[in-house]
Order: sequence, then structure tokens, then C-alpha cells
Amino acid sequence: SSRRLRRMAASQPGFLTLKPSSDPTDLVGGRRKRVNKNKKKNWNKFSDITDVEEFLEDVRHQERTTGGLLSEKSDDSLFFVDLGQTDKAEQNAAEPDEGKKRKGKSTRPLRIDLILQGDSFIPPPKDVLAYQKPNAKKLRRIAQKAEQLAAKGVVPRAQKKLLNRRLADRTVKKAVAEANNNPDRDYYDMWAQKSKSPADPWCVLQTGKQQVKRPKKLNQKPSALPAVEVIAPGGSYNPDFLSHQALLQEAHEVEVKKKKQEDKLEKQLAVNREDKATAETALREEVEGLIEDEEDEETSPNKEDEEASGAAITVTEKKTERQRKKEKAEKRKEQQQLSVKRQTVQQQQLFQLRSIKAAIKQQEQQAKKRWSKRKEKQEAQKAQPRRLGKLKFQAPDLEVQLRDELAGSLRQLKPEGSILKDRFKSLQKRNLIEPRERAKFRRKLKVKYVEKRAFKEIT
Amino acid sequence: MGGLQKKKFERGAATNYITRNSARKKLQLSLPDFRRLCILKGVYPHEPKHKKKVNKGSTAPRTFYLLKDIRFLLHEPVVHKFREYKIFVRKLKRAYGKTEWSAVERLKENKPTYKLDHIVKERYPTFIDALRDIDDALCMCFLFSTFARTGKCHVQTIQLCRRLTVEWMNYVITSRALRKVFLSIKGIYYQAEVMGQLITWLVPYQFSHDHPTDVDYRVMATFTEMYTTLLGFINFKLYHSLNLVYPPKMDIQAESELKEEFEEDYAMNSESYTEKLSALSGSLARVVSTEEEEEGKLDQFPAEGEDVEKMEAREKEQKQLEAQKKLFDGLKIFLNREVPRESLAFIIRCFGGQVSWDKSVSIGSTFDVTDETITHQIVDRPNFDKQYINRYYVQPQWVYDCVNAKILLPVEDYFLGVTLPPHLSPFVEEKEGDYVPPEKLRIMALQRGEKPAQEQEEDEEEGEEDDDEEEEEGDDDEVDEEEKAEEKNLKKMEEQKSQGKSLQVKVTPGKVKAENPARLEQEEKAEEKRLAIMMMKKKEKYLYDKIMFGKKRKVREANKLAAKRKAHDDAEKTKKKKARK
Repeated sequence: SSRRLRRMAASQPGFLTLKPSSDPTDLVGGRRKRVNKNKKKNWNKFSDITDVEEFLEDVRHQERTTGGLLSEKSDDSLFFVDLGQTDKAEQNAAEPDEGKKRKGKSTRPLRIDLILQGDSFIPPPKDVLAYQKPNAKKLRRIAQKAEQLAAKGVVPRAQKKLLNRRLADRTVKKAVAEANNNPDRDYYDMWAQKSKSPADPWCVLQTGKQQVKRPKKLNQKPSALPAVEVIAPGGSYNPDFLSHQALLQEAHEVEVKKKKQEDKLEKQLAVNREDKATAETALREEVEGLIEDEEDEETSPNKEDEEASGAAITVTEKKTERQRKKEKAEKRKEQQQLSVKRQTVQQQQLFQLRSIKAAIKQQEQQAKKRWSKRKEKQEAQKAQPRRLGKLKFQAPDLEVQLRDELAGSLRQLKPEGSILKDRFKSLQKRNLIEPRERAKFRRKLKVKYVEKRAFKEIT
Repeated sequence: MGGLQKKKFERGAATNYITRNSARKKLQLSLPDFRRLCILKGVYPHEPKHKKKVNKGSTAPRTFYLLKDIRFLLHEPVVHKFREYKIFVRKLKRAYGKTEWSAVERLKENKPTYKLDHIVKERYPTFIDALRDIDDALCMCFLFSTFARTGKCHVQTIQLCRRLTVEWMNYVITSRALRKVFLSIKGIYYQAEVMGQLITWLVPYQFSHDHPTDVDYRVMATFTEMYTTLLGFINFKLYHSLNLVYPPKMDIQAESELKEEFEEDYAMNSESYTEKLSALSGSLARVVSTEEEEEGKLDQFPAEGEDVEKMEAREKEQKQLEAQKKLFDGLKIFLNREVPRESLAFIIRCFGGQVSWDKSVSIGSTFDVTDETITHQIVDRPNFDKQYINRYYVQPQWVYDCVNAKILLPVEDYFLGVTLPPHLSPFVEEKEGDYVPPEKLRIMALQRGEKPAQEQEEDEEEGEEDDDEEEEEGDDDEVDEEEKAEEKNLKKMEEQKSQGKSLQVKVTPGKVKAENPARLEQEEKAEEKRLAIMMMKKKEKYLYDKIMFGKKRKVREANKLAAKRKAHDDAEKTKKKKARK
């Protein structure tokens, strides 16, 4: 095609190239390389098309700068007659007017804008997508439908969903905001409405699952003790003499018990006097092995022992026939005697019926007594703290004020013990929580002691 | 033969229990959370009977729970909330670490919370169930409400506890339900009767806290969390049962009375109302304004024999109760600034008295010291200048003792600077034959309407050597005892162990003559009894003798105690005399 264009251009009479083109002689002159021309590849490679390219570039250039080929334009549009300076003067006169009007600088566009302004005379190609929408028809139809529905007052589903969610959110947030320990929280009549049974059919239908029943054993109290144990009458702030004495006695007994245990432990831990080294034992230890012991004495009893054991072994000898027969007969006789004895005893028991009855009765009574005792013990056990974990329950110290600690009046009263601790211990005593110990602080990283320089100077 | 081999620990006790750690793992909770959940739901650890079996052969000490309980816990919605909270904390920590303050704000706004209403309902299906378990709740709330706001627990919790306890006290005042008070060295014990249930609670003295270190505050706070919810719902129900407005509102009349110019000095505007409520000096507003309550009289049923006696006893009790409720009616009591204001105001108002205090002590005072109509002033200092003539100046113990004695005790023993009589515990109930302290005997005599004189009490002798058969008979009725005491020649008189009896001999000698027929009747009764004893079988007689012996021994012990007491008193007296000389 380039060739065709070239030919066409060459045939045109008024064609003028703007740029000085390379001489045709250059193309012809020089040694040409011989190449086979039966291959398309070679044609493409070795045929010279610069002239055509140049020409086309020139055409494009003309179009860009002047808006068309110069050759096709009329002479009027290309040339004008130069009549001197009159025109220019007019122009100069007109310009200041404009400048006055628009106040100079603001009228002139910035140079950067000018540079950026396109100077091509060819209008840009049309963008089809600028005024064509994909799926336009469908969208238009949908919009029309929505308009119709809106006119009718129907809210689209998505919007409805949004609206719904917004309302729900608001209520949820209000409920969430109130903490459990809010001091202004409100209460209602909880026990007014009938409680739904766990297998309520409506409930099951709505929620799709049965409510879980609370195990009956959970409603039993783990201890028979009352929640608040009132202190003994001796614990009054102004107690009666005897009850105060009774309380002191009780506290005293507790202390004595504690002391006894401590003493016992101490005694067990004390070093035995016999284990202590004396001068004598020390000396004996030093000379051990140096002095010959009388080994003979030790060895002689050993020998006797050995003899005795040997004798025991040798006793077993084979029995004779006679002996065996005799033994058999004896055995039989013994058994006979036994059976006879048994029979007589049974016969005699018939006459002992009364005493036997009494014995049985006694036994039963004893069993009953034991049973009741066990029952009692079990009852007592119910009020006792159980062993629920690693640690045993330890009863708190009794709150006691000595005679001289007691205050004369309510104003001077010094409260004894802590109620918080009392409540905590009560919870433990009633088996509601297991007794625990405060976790010990354990250092993870080793502490390094370094003497500071200031101290070092002093020491 | 054949069959599968039985494996150990796959049936029986071993399958009924679960250790704490495996339960925790099953619930996917941390140990503190698990502990909290158990407390809230009322699931407590168990001690199995055969530990070794349950522990799969090991004897290591472990905490066990019933497996069924733990399975039940799996369905609890609060568990999800715990997990949510855990995540919330994690996110918050992260946001703090990255110093993303807007994220911190947002997270804090959406802090997950939970409610315990459904758990309360589940644990206490009926109102009475809840009421029976309220002792603990009250103790805990009263305790927490006295805590200082120093970060040992949430300030909000303290405020809520305070609010609930004030509501409770106001209810007790309005329903006049208080029965007993006991000032102990630990704190103040109160007992009230609400809807037929005896409720005991312990209130600490003001400002008496040292925080012990061996108490797990987290556990206590969890219990309190549960109990505040419970107490709130109970309060609501109780208020509605009395037609009171809930949350409590002051009566219009009371409100106008309490209007003061200097309210701002005590509390901010927003708080002054609650403060006034907690002053306990005003009555509460009702839903239905009509004040009159019809005195519901017990229905009378025709009854025979024993029932009549029972009915009479019940009626008598009822009457006594009514009288006790109006104990301080018409009294105007002024509290000095050194006495425990809240406790005294609560008690006095519970029994219908009017109470006030100095304006500068607290908000809500109703009248001034200068009021001429004041009948008593509670004072707790050795001397007091500027005394008014027309009022008694008594020590605070008088109020408490009056409540326990159910009568107004003579004020002379409680005057300023007087050594007080001992404060006896009202929670001790003596059985017959037990030792009764003389102070209590005196109060009992006062209750019966007698006026014992101090001097006579001293030179009376104690009764000794008792005849057991008559002894038992003699204790039956106090009225009988009086009559018998008058008959000096009678043998019965000797075994009267109490001092009150011989004292009555001297005070009321004139009543004797009219009651002769009664005495005859008694004698007849005694005769009958003697005959009945004679007719007993050998075995029964043996048992009877045994019982009698036990009683006699008791009396002997009581006498010993009484003698000891007398010796102590004598010693004190001589000491005093010496001191005087």
C-alpha cells in the first residue's frame, strides 16, 4: 500500500515536500546487495520505504499544522498582500483598549497552559462510549419500574431491609449500654408471670429446641448451716459476766488445742539426745576398724542357727503303711465324734430357745443402735465443712474481747474482726466455695544485684 | 464366660463426677470465669464419697463437680457473654498498645454486658424461695455499701448496694417488721420477720474497715453481683405488696417537711433525693393514697380442748406483737451527734417513733434540739451541760434493750454516766431448767408487769435441793409459780431456783386469798400425778427416772452458775465499797 501511495504522490503534479528529502540518486547509487526476492521476508527487509514514510509523515504534519494538505487549499487562505504597518497600528490601538477593560495580566493565559494546549488542527476522534451506555435499555426499564412502584408507595426490599436493621440496632444498643451494676437500673415484677415449663410446646415450636431443666440436686443446699450465724451472747459489746466467761473459755480451749499441736510438732522435730555426738562416740568412730573385734563370738551363734535349720529339714521322713492306716482311723473317729457332738448341741439348742431369742434380740438392738448412731453422724456431717480441694477448711479465730478491752459505751467500742472475712469464711464453711490460698508471687527473671558506683566509692 | 471385659472407671461414681479442670476445659472458660459462672448459677463443688474411685485410682486432692451440673452449665447464655468479654479485653489491649485512641473509644462504647435476671428466675422459681435465701444477700449488700470507694471494687457496685439497702431499710420501717437487734463486737445483728420468714442480717459498724488480705475480692464481688440482682427484684415485689411506689418516693408531706434552705451543703442536687431517702426520716409514698389498713382479725373457729389453749397462746402472741410494733409510738427522740445515727434512726422509725438529729450531722433532720416536745435525747458522753428538764437523757443502749425486751424499760438504768446493765443477746432462747442471767429475769418480770426493787434482789436466797417431780410441774406456768411462791410452807417453794420468785413474795403478799380454789386444784393435780407415777410399769418408771435425773442435773448446773454469778456480784460490790472508803 505504501508503494501505491508513493506512486500516487509522485504522479501528482503540484506536490511539494516541506522537508528536503533525500536525493533519489542516493537510493540508486552505491552497491546494492543482492537478495533473493522470492521471499516475503526479504521483501520486507531489504526494500527501501523511507521515501514513502517521509511522505506520509509530511502529509500528517500538514494536516496537523494547517488542517489539511496545503496543495488543496486556496491561494487566498495561504497568502495575503502586505500593505505596510497600518494594520499593525490598528491592532496595537485595539489591544490597549482591551487591556484597560480586563486589567492586563489576567486576560493572558499562562505560558504553561499554552504549552499544554493542543496545537493540532485535527479534531480528536469521537469516543463512542461517552454517549453509549452498556445495558442502557435494561436499566431504563428497571428505573421506570421503580418509579412506578414508588408512585404506588411500595418500598423496595433492599431499602426495607436497611430500615429494619436500623431500628433493631437502636433498641439493641440501648439494652447493651446498661451494665449489670448500674446503680440506677430498674427492676420489675419477676415472679408475676407464670414460668414456662421447659417443655412448653409453643416455646419448642418457636425456638426449635427444648429449654434445659435445672437438675434437682442443684436446689439442695450444700450445707445445713444457716447463712448468718449469730455470735454467742458473750460477744455482746457489753456482755453479761457469765456468758462472757463462757466465750472466753471457748476461745481458750481453741488456743490450748492449737498450742498442743504446735508442741507435738516441736517435740517430733527436736533432736534426740542419744543421736547427739559425745566425746565417747566420736572416739569410737575414729578408731573404728583399727581395733580387732572378737569375731568368734559373732560367728558361733550363726553356726548353731544353721544346725537348727538343718535339723528341721531332716525331720520329714516317709511314713510307714501302719502309721498311715492309724492316722486314717483316727481321722474318721474324730469326724464321727464331731458329728455326734453337733447333733447333741442341736438337740440341746431346742431347750435353749429362750436364750437364743434373747441373743438375737440383743443383736438386733445393737444393730439398730449402730444404725441410729451412723445416721446421727451423717446428720452432723451435713453441717460440717467438706473437703473440697487441696486445702482443708480452717475455722477463723473467734472474735473475743478481753475484760479490759471491752468498751464502756457504744461510742468507745472498737469493732473486733472483719465482717468481710467472716462472710468469706461462712461461704467456705457452707461449702459454697472451696478453701483457697492466695497465689504466691513467683519471680520469673533472676534479680541481679549490682553495687552502684556511688556506693562503691564509700565502701 | 466371654463377653467384654469390664474396664475400670467406666461406670458408677467415676462417671458421675468431673474434675474442675476438665469441667473448665469442657466449657472453654478460664478459671476465674468458670468460678464466676459457678457462683452465678449456684453450682457448687461436691465431695464424693469414694474419692479414689472417682479420681480414677489417684488419691490426689481435687475439686469435683457433678457432671450433670456441668452439662447444665453448657446451655447457659451467659457463657457466650464471658467469651465476648474476653475478646473485648483482647481488642482493647491491642488498641491501647497501638495507641489507637479512637478504636479504644469505640470499643469502650460497645463494651459487652450481661444480665442475671434469667438466672435469678431460674434459681428461685417462686418469691418465697428467693426470700428464704435473702440473708446472705443482705449481709453482702450492707457490707459492700460501707466500703470506701478506693478501687477495691467498682464504685457503681457500691452505689447499687447502698441504694438497695436503703430500699430494704425503708421497707422494714414501713412494714414494721423488725423484731430483734443485737449489738455485738463484730457488728449489729438485726432480725426481721417478712412474710412469715425470719430474716437475719449483719451490718458492720461505720468506719470499721481494714481490708483483710486473705479474702478473695473477686469471688465476693461475684456473689454481690448475683445478690444485688436478687435483692432488687425482692425489693420491688415487697414494695408492691405494701402498695408502695417503687423506686421509693417520699411522701408529699414528708418531702415538704424535709425542705431545707441549705440542702446544697450536703449533696449535689442530683443526689440530694437519694440522700434524703437514706436518712430514713420520712415516710414513703403509696400507690393508693388511702392510709387506713383494715386490721385483719383472725378468723374465729370453734375449737375444743388443746386447740383452745393453742389459739389463746397464739392470740396472746399476736397481741404482744402488735404492742411491740407500737413500742415507740408518740415518742420524739433526738439523736446527739456521737451516736450511730443510721442504726438508731432505723430502729426508732421501725417502732413508730419520731427521730431527728442536728442539722449539721446529716441531711433529713425533722426537728431541732430546742423543740420542747422532745421526750428522749440519746446521748453517749459522760456529762452534758445545758439539759432540758422535760426530756430524758439516755444512752443509746436503752433503745436497743427496749426493742429486745418488747417494752419500754425504765430509763433510770440508762441515764447519763450510769454504768449500763449488760446488753443481752436476744438470739438466745433458754429452755426450762437452763441458767438465766438475773438481768434477763428482771426484764421478764418487767414484761409481766411487776416492779422489782433493786434492794430486795440482793438479800434473797437461791432455791436449792429440788424435788424433781414437782420441779417439772413448777416450771409449767409463770402464774402458777407466783402462787406457789406465796405458800411458804409448801415444799415446792424451795425448789424455785430463780430469784424473781422469792422477791415476789414480798412485793405482792395481798393477792393470796382469792386464789385458794386454784391452789386446791393444783394440789389435786399434783396428787393425780403422784398416783400416775406410782402406777407406772417398771420399765417406764426407769425411763421416767432417767429423764428426771437429767433435768435435775441441769437445774443443779444452773444453780451452780447462779451461785457463781452471785459470788462475782458480791466481789464487785465489796470492791466498790472499798473504793468508796
